[in-house]
Amino acid sequence: MQRNLWRNFDFYLFGAVVFMCIFGIIMIESAIAGNEELTGYPQKQSIFVAAGLALVIIVAMIDYHLWESLAKFIYGFAFIALFVIFVYGEARFGSARWIDTGLILIQPSEIVKILMIMVLADHFNRTKDVERDLRWIGKSFILTLGVVIWILLQPNLSTSIVIFVIWFAMLWVSGLPLKYLAILGVIAIILVAIAFPLLEEYQQARILNFIFPNPEASYGEEYNIQQSKIAIGSGGWFGEGYGQGTQVQLRFMKVRHTDFIFSVVGEEFGFIGTMAVIGLMAFIIIRCLRIAQTASDNYGSLLAFGYAAMLFFQTAINIGVNLNLVPVSGLPFPFLSYGGSSLISTIIGIGLIESVAMRKKIIQ
Amino acid sequence: MNKKKYFFTTWKNWRIKILYILILLIFGFYGFRLFNLQILEGEEYVAQADENRISNISIQTERGIIYDRNGIVLAKNAASYNIMITPADLPVDEGAIQEIYRQLSEVIDIPVSNGELTDEVVTTFSPCNTDLGISEVVEIADTNAPYTAMEIKCDVDKDTAMLIESKSDEWPGVTVEIEPIREYPTGELTSEVIGFLGPIPESMEEYYTELGFVAGRDKVGYAGIEATMQDTLAGKNGLRVVEVDVGGKVIRDVEPPVETESGLNIKLTIDTRLQQAAKAALIGNIDWWNRWFNDVRFTNGVVIAINPKTGEILSLVSYPTYENNRMARFIPAYYYQQLSEDPNRPLFNHAISAEHPPGSVYKIVTAIGALNEGVVTPYQSLITPYSIFITEKYAGNDTGTQREFVDWKEGGHGQANYFKGLSQSVDVYFYKISGGYEDEVKEGLGVWRMSEYAKALGYGAVTGIELPGEAEGLVPTPTWKRINLSENWSTGDTYIAGMGQGYVLSTPLQILVSYAIVANDGVYMKPTLIREIIDSDGTVVQEFTPTQVWDITKDPLIAIFDENDIPTGEKKVVEPWVLDMTQQALRMTVTEGTAMSIFEGMEIPTSGKTGTAEYCDNIAQEQGLCISGNWPAHAWYVGYGPTDDPEIAVIAFVYNGTEGSSVAAPIVREVLEAYFSLKEIDEGIQ
Repeated sequence: MQRNLWRNFDFYLFGAVVFMCIFGIIMIESAIAGNEELTGYPQKQSIFVAAGLALVIIVAMIDYHLWESLAKFIYGFAFIALFVIFVYGEARFGSARWIDTGLILIQPSEIVKILMIMVLADHFNRTKDVERDLRWIGKSFILTLGVVIWILLQPNLSTSIVIFVIWFAMLWVSGLPLKYLAILGVIAIILVAIAFPLLEEYQQARILNFIFPNPEASYGEEYNIQQSKIAIGSGGWFGEGYGQGTQVQLRFMKVRHTDFIFSVVGEEFGFIGTMAVIGLMAFIIIRCLRIAQTASDNYGSLLAFGYAAMLFFQTAINIGVNLNLVPVSGLPFPFLSYGGSSLISTIIGIGLIESVAMRKKIIQ
Repeated sequence: MNKKKYFFTTWKNWRIKILYILILLIFGFYGFRLFNLQILEGEEYVAQADENRISNISIQTERGIIYDRNGIVLAKNAASYNIMITPADLPVDEGAIQEIYRQLSEVIDIPVSNGELTDEVVTTFSPCNTDLGISEVVEIADTNAPYTAMEIKCDVDKDTAMLIESKSDEWPGVTVEIEPIREYPTGELTSEVIGFLGPIPESMEEYYTELGFVAGRDKVGYAGIEATMQDTLAGKNGLRVVEVDVGGKVIRDVEPPVETESGLNIKLTIDTRLQQAAKAALIGNIDWWNRWFNDVRFTNGVVIAINPKTGEILSLVSYPTYENNRMARFIPAYYYQQLSEDPNRPLFNHAISAEHPPGSVYKIVTAIGALNEGVVTPYQSLITPYSIFITEKYAGNDTGTQREFVDWKEGGHGQANYFKGLSQSVDVYFYKISGGYEDEVKEGLGVWRMSEYAKALGYGAVTGIELPGEAEGLVPTPTWKRINLSENWSTGDTYIAGMGQGYVLSTPLQILVSYAIVANDGVYMKPTLIREIIDSDGTVVQEFTPTQVWDITKDPLIAIFDENDIPTGEKKVVEPWVLDMTQQALRMTVTEGTAMSIFEGMEIPTSGKTGTAEYCDNIAQEQGLCISGNWPAHAWYVGYGPTDDPEIAVIAFVYNGTEGSSVAAPIVREVLEAYFSLKEIDEGIQ
């Protein structure tokens, strides 16, 4: 049984993920660029990667149907965890997103992304025979909102959007009728119009700054984007070489090790580097979609599909920010960007997907 | 059946394909964008990245030193000490920073904290000139360029600078910057010659930036030799092309640095000792007379001394002048305003820029012209009563009106020949030879020919001395009058012009040059202030070479006119005997003429000419001095010596000085005597 199980373990997917994680550590090392505060980061990231990869194996071994049966419990856990954060969370970077364990800072909303994939997959699986009406849409929406509301209030708009994207992806694949899609589109536009004045000032500024760039701004938001664009552009075909990118090494770019790690790749490895990273991410996402298509049951398919959608959305947004096509959102690049919680949760997701892959239906 | 309706059995329906297509589209679009950005527009972004990281640092060169002819320093570079703080080099600990501020504050007397940083305060902030405390200034510096040192206090004394320098280990981030400033050891004594420096003016910023100057740091000459010899003195700034990080910290040189080229040193022809004597003589006499009148009647004046053989200016005094050391660091607004508003115009070089009626000193023009043209012979005596009547005509067929022309001496001079005419400055003699008089002088010199001699003697044109703002003066002709005053030249104008009145204007330097030409037997040497140009190693780059402008006895300069005053196109020279006669006459000014009493007892024989020039300018008009028949007058005297081989010619001018012989001549005598005694001292040394 066990040997059979491992035969279906997707080694290509795992290999690609390991490669991305190690490449991420290498790029973080370069992105430090002599900043003393960041000196220990590659080591920390290495520990996260090692721990994450170990978790992949452990999670892969666990039959994913366990999560199906624990769905209500998981939902309750996520709800309580986020509620506690909201009430007692330590205010950092202007929002209560972190739990200080004394050893490391944990960002629970990152883990909640994976938990919500489990919960929503279960929900859509159980409602697979229900009429596709507004009730069906509304129930899943309220289920999602019940958790997301606390993330939204932190406030953490980008993670909230990611979870809604996961919700929408599953809604879509479970057969959202097209007429409701149109209605949802209209509602989304109205919601944005109503919600915009309620956003935090810095979020409004980011969006406005993106839509109407101030040509005279040399510092601040506009500055960061401009510098990352220069970094990517100056990379050329093959880049300036590892550790040689002037925009990075002379620190004209900010938040190099997190949000703008893609620009570091762009400057130091050029067009070849950026295409390789995009290609590898596409490979990982497509592998996940393949697993969704070959899963032995609907729950497994929904898990893999939701995860693939999340990976794709985060990657697309992050690159979009780096290319100044999307407003600055603070979403990390999966596997590459520095950050323990985000890395661990993304990597646990891989374990989950591998668990689905290992238990796929045998195609004769 | 219902089951099949909503759930897709194989997970291969179009809904999944949409996601594949989305991935393809979005990642494809990113690939396309990246290709544009990195490959097609790559060069542009490389340029922008280079602009970020590459910085040009101009290394300030040293300006040349100005010496007098004996090597006395007239302008040099001194160090000014500025106390700087580089925010990035301060300790990390806030308490330690505050401790440094506290200790530093005691030494340099600037509060640790003062003022509030509002937008307005920050935008109008200028280092060296602020009331803000140390922490506020550092905060501004930290925001703008944390790796660049910021001035906390400027121009501290050397002891403070040394003390702070010695504390550099205890006070990381605090440094002493040495800024070169210009120092003029002789100050006001030579400021009219040396001038001063100022910041690069906005209008010239592009020009100087192209030459490698840095606006706001480098200074350029605003006046005097500092201005005219700017290119020689300035040298060339060096350049480092460096890579900097985002904080402005220099990482490395990108190109080999371009070394600075020091400015060249200049040795002037000025003799500071003689300058001192000339200034003392001028101011001393002016003060004496003002005390005697018990009124500030004489307000400005000029003394210039030249070597007629070489054109070297030995001293040049324009009084009043300014203290150029006060402009050394920056030009203080109140001082500059005070200078600008002074009616005696200290910023104006009266020696070369002021145009005045020359009066009787101009008579050599008429005299040399009349003799050379054969209007009179040297020993021909003319009757010279107190006054003569001449018909004033504006045109050939004009019947005219009778106009009286009077002499300065009541009772007249009786009879006068060429020698008496010049030495006694006999006005009637000059009226007659200028415009003719009845049968006695059938045809006078006339205005056209007079203007030719004036120009040959250096009037009506700049001399080209190395000082800014030299004026041309005015040698009037009928054409000039018609164009500028829309009026015909009258016969009377000629009589008046013949004695340097009326429309004639000249600068003190022009008058001195005309006498230097006569003293030097007709050779016009270009007046110059530059003796040698020396590089920073002491090698003479440009030796002194006297420049001959022309020789009036050899170069045909005088246009010949026909009977209708039309130039014939031919030109002639001044006969050497004419100059010989003129030199004799000028000697007689001192032995028996208008300057006899003043020069009595002077051992070394000198020659000269007095001048009392009536004027009515706007200042005199305002004071109500322009009373017809009794106009105020400037005092002039030009002298040279020794008579037989002149090596110095001196002019003294006192504005509103009343009378040349009594006011200006003593000044010239003092300068001549100073010159000869200095010469004796110098020869004694050798």
